[in-house]
Amino acid sequence: MVDPATFDFWAQKLDATWSWTRTLARVIERRAEAQDAVTLVLQPNRHWAGFQPGQHLNVSAEVGGRRVTRSYSLTDIPRRDGRIAITVKRVDGGRLSTQLCEHTRVGDVLELGEAFGDMTLPAAPRQAEGRWLFLAAGSGITPLMALTRQLAAQGMPVDVSLVYWAKTRAEFCFADELRALARQHPRCQVHFVVTHEAAQGADEHEGFIDHALLTRLLGGDGGEVSASGPAAWADRQVLACGPGGFVDAARALTATTARSFLADGFTPTAPADLPQAGEATTVSVSLTRSGRTLRVSSGSSLLEALEAQGLNPPSGCRMGVCHTCVCQRHSGTTLDTLSGERSAEPDMAVRLCVSRACSDLSLDL
Amino acid sequence: MSNAPAAANLPALHPGIHRGLQRPLSPQELSDFGSEIEALRARTVADLGERDARYIRRIFAAVRWTEIIGRILLVVGFFLPSPWDWSVWLLGAFTLGLSKILDNMELGHNVIHGQFDWMGDPRFSGKTFEWDIVGTADNWRKTHNFKHHTYTNVHGMDDDIGYDVLRIFPEQKWHPAALFQPLYAVIFALLFQWGVAIQNLRVGRVFIGRITWRGLFKESAPTLRKWRRLLVKDYIVFPLLAGPAWASVFTGNLVANGLRNLWTYTVIFCGHFTSDVQTFPKSVLKNESRAQWYVRQILGSSNLSGSKALHVLTGNLSHQIEHHLFPDVPANRYAEMAPVVRDICRRYGIHYNTGSMVSQFGQVVWRILRHSFPSSPSTAMPDGVPAR
Repeated sequence: MVDPATFDFWAQKLDATWSWTRTLARVIERRAEAQDAVTLVLQPNRHWAGFQPGQHLNVSAEVGGRRVTRSYSLTDIPRRDGRIAITVKRVDGGRLSTQLCEHTRVGDVLELGEAFGDMTLPAAPRQAEGRWLFLAAGSGITPLMALTRQLAAQGMPVDVSLVYWAKTRAEFCFADELRALARQHPRCQVHFVVTHEAAQGADEHEGFIDHALLTRLLGGDGGEVSASGPAAWADRQVLACGPGGFVDAARALTATTARSFLADGFTPTAPADLPQAGEATTVSVSLTRSGRTLRVSSGSSLLEALEAQGLNPPSGCRMGVCHTCVCQRHSGTTLDTLSGERSAEPDMAVRLCVSRACSDLSLDL
Repeated sequence: MSNAPAAANLPALHPGIHRGLQRPLSPQELSDFGSEIEALRARTVADLGERDARYIRRIFAAVRWTEIIGRILLVVGFFLPSPWDWSVWLLGAFTLGLSKILDNMELGHNVIHGQFDWMGDPRFSGKTFEWDIVGTADNWRKTHNFKHHTYTNVHGMDDDIGYDVLRIFPEQKWHPAALFQPLYAVIFALLFQWGVAIQNLRVGRVFIGRITWRGLFKESAPTLRKWRRLLVKDYIVFPLLAGPAWASVFTGNLVANGLRNLWTYTVIFCGHFTSDVQTFPKSVLKNESRAQWYVRQILGSSNLSGSKALHVLTGNLSHQIEHHLFPDVPANRYAEMAPVVRDICRRYGIHYNTGSMVSQFGQVVWRILRHSFPSSPSTAMPDGVPAR
């Protein structure tokens, strides 16, 4: 009998985070973390189901009337009061990151998705399972910070080395806290690496990720240092997080030579370019409800392409008028053939009859 | 711009479409006309943002507030001394009726069209929105969004032509029962939401053997569940909550639903059943271009001129022409698009049908009366001279 939207309307007159079904959170605290980066401490409502350090969540806010959703890593460890924290770096032209960094204030309400991601540590890490090596670049520090805090809260049961790259010193998040952890726990080593200015101080280095740099840094952590012998990270479990290019470099360097390797790369949510007119390509469309994945041509409308594969999604006018064929696009880029516009915003409604795929897609069908 | 060889390849208007045009449109003119309509759409869509999001949220809030105020007044009226009792009760019934009208028209109808899908807000998603009338949003999406909006005023395709109940155009077959239609047009108006909901079930299929009663019952389960839910809400739960004022709440809810029925019936009939609107044979659909489709939408719709309040209360269906050209553009934009559409129509010599509600509804009533008697297209509507 309860209409969730009506319930929410009245409940939110009392508390803006109350909702029948939606996970909403109030911004409790906002602090500058580094240049162009803020940490937001959030108090979620009772729909929030918790998380493990290293996981991410989707955060949605309305920007210019449009709901924008992006994934952010949870940077804190689970707390008794249920509060969670995300650290957001402003991306040039990034709609949600700009909103969160510059316009979101204490008291504002954000909508959250469920926590997801499997870059997590075992409940009780043991030294016998190997030492850990965390490789972070830019905002890649965020999940690794949560994991470092988790180990610190457990009293550093294993050796961990964190190597953290940024363009300039001013961009390092959590620098004081990381230095304090390194001083407090002999098993914890932290190396800051800058790529666009000269290094200063004992724990700061310069240069992009490569074999020599990593060997030199880890050698100082008590690893084997030999040009011909096993790599300095041979006994380590490596977790790498950062932009796609960084993660690729880390993988090439350590994936086969380390004890284990797990990575999380960021892919910017920018619309993909459609192949030139006339040269339709084949893209992969995954249908999340039916669990099927199909190869379809980008040269015809999604509706026609799906029908050619024997599917029969609901449809009506086939001219973009009636919205019968509308379905949610979870990810990927589509072209609206009526307006000529491309869109890559996650979880937006697309009209299958007047849209074409520009990249691999995930649809709610 | 115009070059003859290219124009030769462009489709011309269907020969069935000539009334309502001051002069024949050349294929090139028709194509240019379509481009102008599309450019207007593109300009409007590019500008959607904060203002439109705020608008639909305010409408949602208005529905909620008028609902609760109306329901409270119905109860309060009962405890007041005469003559306050019935005047507060009446105010309550009107306020609740207003809430239902807003929910039906400016909120539900427009959101279900997907007009606010661009916001990405699940509360205003056309695919999932449900409203406070007995027809389900799912059935509505099919008969209204798809059939009525794609095949507007095409005989045999658009079930909204008289709703299978009324004979409004001479092209519809006459039957002696039509003699009584002035009477049952009134009953249909009072029970409009039920009429539409029942029409959506397409009960007639049973009589021609397409479906069994059992099959129809099974297929209609979601609609029947919704009927039960709404009847229980307005006629059992709220009266019970009112305690001794139960009868005042019961009748108030009945009146509010009746008011909404009368109002929506009036507005919707004004949209397509005025004197000058045209209906079309099925053959217009063959190879119909987008520009031709736009022309058909304009000639098959009629606007209501009036105040801002009228536009909001009609769910901006007072801008029926703009709504039919751009059914998924937020309705709060129609008012500013209308002068542009009107100017385009003027330049291409396409009749733009608008008038006051009294005049337009008068024409609807005349059609209901006139076509209850036998009439034929040729005599009732000679070319260029609309039947009055």
